[in-house]
Amino acid sequence: MDPRASTLLLPDGLSASGAADRLAALMPVVTQRAHAVDRTFWDTFDGRLHRAGVALAEAAGRFVLMDATTYAEHASAQHPRRARMLRVEDLAAGALRDELAPVIEMRALTPIARVRSRLLPINVLDDLGKIVVRLRAEEPVAILTGGDKLALRTRLHVAGVRGYDIDHDVVLKLLTGDIGLEEAPRPVLDDALTALGSPVGGTSSKLKIELDPAERADVAAVKVLRRLAEVIDDNTPGTLADVDSEFLHDLRVAVRRSRALQRELRGVFAPEPLRAFRDGFRELQVLTGPTRDLDVQLLEFAELAAGLEEGATEDVAPLRRLLEQRLAVERRAMVAGLRSARAHALRENWQDFLDALVTAPEDDRPDAARPIADVAAERIGVVYRRMVKMGTAIGDDSPHEALHDLRKKGKELRYLLEFFASLYPPEVVKPMVATLKGLQDVLGRFQDREVQADLLRALGDDIAAMEGGAAALMAMGVLVERLAEQQEQARAEFAASFAQFAAKPQRRIVKATFG
Amino acid sequence: MTKVVALYNIKGGVGKTSAAVNLAWIAAQGGSRVLLWDLDPQGAASYLLRIRPKVRGGGSKLVRGKTDPAAALKGSDHELLDLLPADFSYRNMDLVLDATKHPTQGLRRVLAPLADDYDYVFLDCPPAISLASESIFAAADMLLVPLIPTPLSLRTFEQLRGFVADEVPKPRPRILAFFSMADGRKTLHREIMSAFCATADGAVLDAAIPAATDVEKMARERRALAGFAPAGRAARAYAALWDELEPRL
Repeated sequence: MDPRASTLLLPDGLSASGAADRLAALMPVVTQRAHAVDRTFWDTFDGRLHRAGVALAEAAGRFVLMDATTYAEHASAQHPRRARMLRVEDLAAGALRDELAPVIEMRALTPIARVRSRLLPINVLDDLGKIVVRLRAEEPVAILTGGDKLALRTRLHVAGVRGYDIDHDVVLKLLTGDIGLEEAPRPVLDDALTALGSPVGGTSSKLKIELDPAERADVAAVKVLRRLAEVIDDNTPGTLADVDSEFLHDLRVAVRRSRALQRELRGVFAPEPLRAFRDGFRELQVLTGPTRDLDVQLLEFAELAAGLEEGATEDVAPLRRLLEQRLAVERRAMVAGLRSARAHALRENWQDFLDALVTAPEDDRPDAARPIADVAAERIGVVYRRMVKMGTAIGDDSPHEALHDLRKKGKELRYLLEFFASLYPPEVVKPMVATLKGLQDVLGRFQDREVQADLLRALGDDIAAMEGGAAALMAMGVLVERLAEQQEQARAEFAASFAQFAAKPQRRIVKATFG
Repeated sequence: MTKVVALYNIKGGVGKTSAAVNLAWIAAQGGSRVLLWDLDPQGAASYLLRIRPKVRGGGSKLVRGKTDPAAALKGSDHELLDLLPADFSYRNMDLVLDATKHPTQGLRRVLAPLADDYDYVFLDCPPAISLASESIFAAADMLLVPLIPTPLSLRTFEQLRGFVADEVPKPRPRILAFFSMADGRKTLHREIMSAFCATADGAVLDAAIPAATDVEKMARERRALAGFAPAGRAARAYAALWDELEPRL
């Protein structure tokens, strides 16, 4: 069991050394020499470390993963190279990498704040003169990009020593009771981020929109679309700079969601400007597609190659190289497209369009003023019934396209449920989302494996021409075969997952709720 | 993977405890997570770290596997060094182990649940060759033997090597020795060290711990050398010993 630890705030006006003097009057303490620590904190764009309650701090090339509040160390490693971003694979094998990997997954770490702290160690001793509680008074200062400094609240970290829990509790009681210190409500890093004007806990791509069932459909649509435009804007710089593959993923999801809403709630928009925007968003989707496909292929490469026989995993190295080369080419084209005046104009015009939508004439916008709960329910009901019809028609000999089309429709329904979940009872929405998710997983695997296999097949000629190409081709044959097996497996699972999605009780609930 | 190093010698007063405490401290200073288990009922290692020689729940229960070893751990004044304190009941360790199903596996069993928490475990062993010693041999990856450069001391080392080779089942611990309390001014010490190194098949480390007042002062200071005489001859010798030893673990 880890020793106990907590962090208390020192009242304004009480410095670290002042606190040490007050403690010395109450208990046997030894104050050591104060020292300064200059820490740069790192996290993923979406704040995964923050969510996990940990912080990654770098000081003089040493990265320490620690409890965000108490600084209790979890793991550390030296990283000699000065870097602007770090991925799991950049770190040397060891405890730090092991602990970070499942938390950050494919995301890159980037510096988010710099804090310089003056630390004054104060050790509480027992009657043998042994340290039984470690106190650290911290006077932190956030360093702004230009070098300006912002003083943050001084705090006192209280760390127990293993096997001396009683001493810890006694000291803590003294500090919170007699001296009246309060527990720090949040870590130094959060204070620093607030002082720096940065988002605490990273930037989320989640929708998180609360709608009023009675509000106008166009007002609700604008709320959702504005949030999606914000997600696109948030994720564009990281996509252009190739920080990690999730930026592009989140950007594409936001584009796809925007398109779904444009299509499903078309009655709230005037047809003509909408058509131009739908074309523009489709172009954006097409522009970013090949890069995302290759990203996925590379992200899943290790897992796919892992099942190959010993030796064959080496054989697929040329394939990986080729995928990386292709990715570089596709990425250049995508970045040029995203930076183009056309893409820029699309984003600006879209914002202007959303700003003006609610006050625009309503002659050709029949759904604009209707309550959103009615319009959304209509669409959810229609799409659900359409899916039931499409899925029921799928048999053993149906073409692959039938399943792909059903998946596309399923995404549409999923997005509608995400946009408008707050308008309907959770006991209706939750099971519907659960069965839909089950079905989409199966359909997703079915389609993804086909896309991956097609991509591998398309690379065959190029691979053959590379050094070590013959062996790579043979290994690729095994991979394609495996992908086909996995696709078949997904197909075999389709009937059962669709049956759950389209089960009679669910159909009844959908009808009762959405009409 | 955790490496278990037993500071062991059949003879007493050869510098086992000083070596255990200083090597454990140096390893922790290097950033490793370290556990020191004071197996000697005299509790000298516990004393040097200012920790009371008492195991919560009783040492016998701990060795019999009846209590959680994590609950008996005590943090030292170094944040990365923990101690399993001595317990006076360890004077009967042979009897306690003998009453268990697999006596030679007793210490290994205690350490097993702690394995993920530490990079190195140092065992400060009592001077004897007994059932407890066999349990130490089964738990340790390495026996590190402090040798005073005298003919009798070397004879004992050879006896130990013979015993481990003949009597201890595999996997046997590696055995390495180092000279302890070495006095460079004594011709006898110099001659013995030089002759023994030449014939010991690499079983003796180059670094030797001098007979130094600093080591004796540890009992007064109740600290590892790094805490009060970090630049002294003895502290430097222990650091050199660790530098030589660590790559071999």
